[in-house]
Amino acid sequence: MSILVYALHYQGEFNRNSLGAVSEGARLAGELGGEAAAAVVGGDDLTDDLCASLGRYGASKVYRARAPEGLAQPVVDVMAKVIADDGFEYALFGGGLLGFEVGAGLTARLDVGVTMEVTAVRAQDGRLVAERPILQDSAIVDVGYVGEPGIVIGRLNAFDARDGGDGAAEVVDVEVELERHSTRATMVKRGEQRGADVNIEDAGVLVAGGRGLGNAEGFELCESLADALGGAVAATRAVVDAGWYPYAAQIGQTGKTVAPKLYLAAGISGAIQHKVGMQSSEHILAINKDPNAPIFEFSDLGVVGDLNKILPKLTDAVKAKKG
Amino acid sequence: MSTAPIEFPPPVDSAKEFVGAPTDPDDERIEVGVVIVGGGPAGLACAIRLAQLLAEDEALLESLGEVPIALVEKGRTPGSHLLSGAMMNPSALRKLFPDAAEGDWPTYGTVDKDAVYLLTRRRAFPLRPTPPPFRNHGNHVTSLAQLGRWMAERAEEAGVYLLGETAATKLLVEDGRVVGVRSGDKGRGREGEELPNFEPGSDLIAKATVLCEGTQGHLTGAAIRRFELGSDDPQQWELGVKEVWEVQRPLDRVIHTMGWPLRLGARYREFGGSFIYPMGDDRISLGLVTGLDYRDARFSVHDALQLLKGHPLVAGLIEGAKRVGWGAKTIPSGGYWARPRRLWAPGMAIVGDGAGMVNVPTLKGVHYAMHAGMFAAEAICERLKAGGSCDDLSNYADKVEGSEIDRDTYRSRNMRQPFAKGFLVGGAIANLMEISGGRFPGGRWATHDDATVDVFIGPERDYPKPDGKVTFDKLSSVFLTGNATRDDAPNHIRLQERVPLEVALMWQNMCPAQVYEVPEAELEAARVDGRLDGKREVNLAVIPSNCVQCGAITAKGGRLTPPEGGDGPNYQTT
Repeated sequence: MSILVYALHYQGEFNRNSLGAVSEGARLAGELGGEAAAAVVGGDDLTDDLCASLGRYGASKVYRARAPEGLAQPVVDVMAKVIADDGFEYALFGGGLLGFEVGAGLTARLDVGVTMEVTAVRAQDGRLVAERPILQDSAIVDVGYVGEPGIVIGRLNAFDARDGGDGAAEVVDVEVELERHSTRATMVKRGEQRGADVNIEDAGVLVAGGRGLGNAEGFELCESLADALGGAVAATRAVVDAGWYPYAAQIGQTGKTVAPKLYLAAGISGAIQHKVGMQSSEHILAINKDPNAPIFEFSDLGVVGDLNKILPKLTDAVKAKKG
Repeated sequence: MSTAPIEFPPPVDSAKEFVGAPTDPDDERIEVGVVIVGGGPAGLACAIRLAQLLAEDEALLESLGEVPIALVEKGRTPGSHLLSGAMMNPSALRKLFPDAAEGDWPTYGTVDKDAVYLLTRRRAFPLRPTPPPFRNHGNHVTSLAQLGRWMAERAEEAGVYLLGETAATKLLVEDGRVVGVRSGDKGRGREGEELPNFEPGSDLIAKATVLCEGTQGHLTGAAIRRFELGSDDPQQWELGVKEVWEVQRPLDRVIHTMGWPLRLGARYREFGGSFIYPMGDDRISLGLVTGLDYRDARFSVHDALQLLKGHPLVAGLIEGAKRVGWGAKTIPSGGYWARPRRLWAPGMAIVGDGAGMVNVPTLKGVHYAMHAGMFAAEAICERLKAGGSCDDLSNYADKVEGSEIDRDTYRSRNMRQPFAKGFLVGGAIANLMEISGGRFPGGRWATHDDATVDVFIGPERDYPKPDGKVTFDKLSSVFLTGNATRDDAPNHIRLQERVPLEVALMWQNMCPAQVYEVPEAELEAARVDGRLDGKREVNLAVIPSNCVQCGAITAKGGRLTPPEGGDGPNYQTT
């Protein structure tokens, strides 16, 4: 039982979401008694070293194809060929817009089964079972696969990247003749969404501010703390709506979904619309003056108090500790 | 201290802004036979009936071109924006689908037992025998959101073109006759600017236009103004908030309550009551409806419903239960007198809730909407057959006039108005009317515009703090509707954003979806010696993406317009 994982790269680095998918694929393949391989598509920036580095995340083999980057159809062509030639029982994606598009395209191309927005996968009786939240995340369904390969598309950042520190994957070059329709689109420009200067989806630490900050200036406290922690700043819909912070930083139902190692919620009440965008964070720390705020129900650590006093002290303490 | 919201009217002139000539060049206009606006019971019944009639007349069908019947629906699917109690009288569905067996359409069946209670905070006094308007023998417990989806499938099977996720934003009028509607733009930003995915709307040109827009018809309101169709008596509305619960024990009866948590005093004018209906063995539908002529700015229907769930009568029913649905909608309650004086204009008919076809005491309207939709279809077909012009649709009005729609609403024509005198006096007068079959005391009791009723800041209310199990805040309720409207959509709600605190607070508390917020700083600034100064003008914050399109704001001093097609709630079980 082996698993093929798609790994997206940009400017000489694999994105964290893809590394999470590779780690997850390797873990699951181990449980099924098989191996995980990765498929990468791009130009000359896909060096041997870069591709082999996926071994640190558990990939045994990396299929490298020279084809246009950042577009879905060429990746579908590559993955369909690798699956046809070498036989994989599952294809795994970490999510994100491109992951969804490639996964959906591959599903249609191979006429197989797919589960999207998957938040967890487990091996059971020698097969994979995907867990998928439904009805606005109020219930979770288990999805099994009948045919092969089963396509699993994770929710963005659903899988943790685990860097094993060493290990190099075998790099195999694949020659693929692209379908005619796959060559019809060209990449004009790649860039960050909505001009954000920090990619909050990739940040390990997020300091998120809500209405409790009082005003736009309150975000300066968040920014200082984020700087000290080496993280980024995020915001709730209410404050983005009020114009205190740019939309690119908005977390939640109609914003971004994140899962950093630490999510520090400052002055955020924790409405469900916000919760669905950050609930899979590893550690959630909430500071709020209202002891009844819903955020405390899903925080690992809750502090009831005044942000204007706590945030600067915390920033100083972090700086002192870091020297 | 008090202020009537109408002193701060919304910055809008609907007869000018939402009515106009087609603007697309001739070759870009979309020509259809009949265009129906709104995929609710009225519009879908109209579409299906039209398809049935056209199936019998090939030449006529042919003459209507490639798209004989088009139905425009702004929700994500037909049903997404539908919500009702509902104990539906099945007479219209039987007429529309004569060959269908009962239960072919989505229904939770009939319920034999009923009960009405007058509530105080802790006790429930049964009213026996059940007052006639609350008797529901033979009526079906129905989820309108489900029925809409089912009817839409039947309509498509019959050849109706459903244009989903499409709002009708402008009524097209040329030379004094309605020639169709214009669909709304998509992909505009907060300030109306064109985003990369911008798609302009289109002119849909039709031989007849049927407005079936429901409770707060956007084009209906504009058409009534443009063609001066309105009654001397203004329409008024009630606001209902409803929840669906998955329960442990089946409920064996239909329950209605009056009294608490509404206050009986004339000063507050809180008229309404609750309904509790079984939806099969494992679900119940629970809602609270209140007239929007209430006065206390602190009153909130959503929170009063949360309070109601703590009453021993209700708490027992939902013990160990789980909330699976929530929604809100207004109900036209002006009754017979407030209905448009004329139900048509050249090339256009108004059908259903938009035309106020609701029998307020019996809480019925769904089947009237369907009957009227069928009448409109029949009237249009008659005209098309006779020569092609739908300039005179008085035959539609005649059909409504000769039907149970007029008969029933005439009988209860004066029953809602007396409650402006408070619950007890009003209740006594309404009882006399009921006993006398609507004859006593007779006359014409005037209705009033909800926005002309002055509001004041009453004493603090004891609404429960949401616990996330039995009682819920507004935002988590909106979440349950599946509403995920993008935050940078243009604001589709027109109102004055700087108003006296008592008006601003009234909007904040009235809105079940937390669209309006009085910023905390404004509230603090208005506090004088511990009391709130209701006259002080404050800046209101508006969050239109929360909106579930209930329409209350139009009744109470603002103006709702359609959002971008596909936005708003996605009701499943309501």
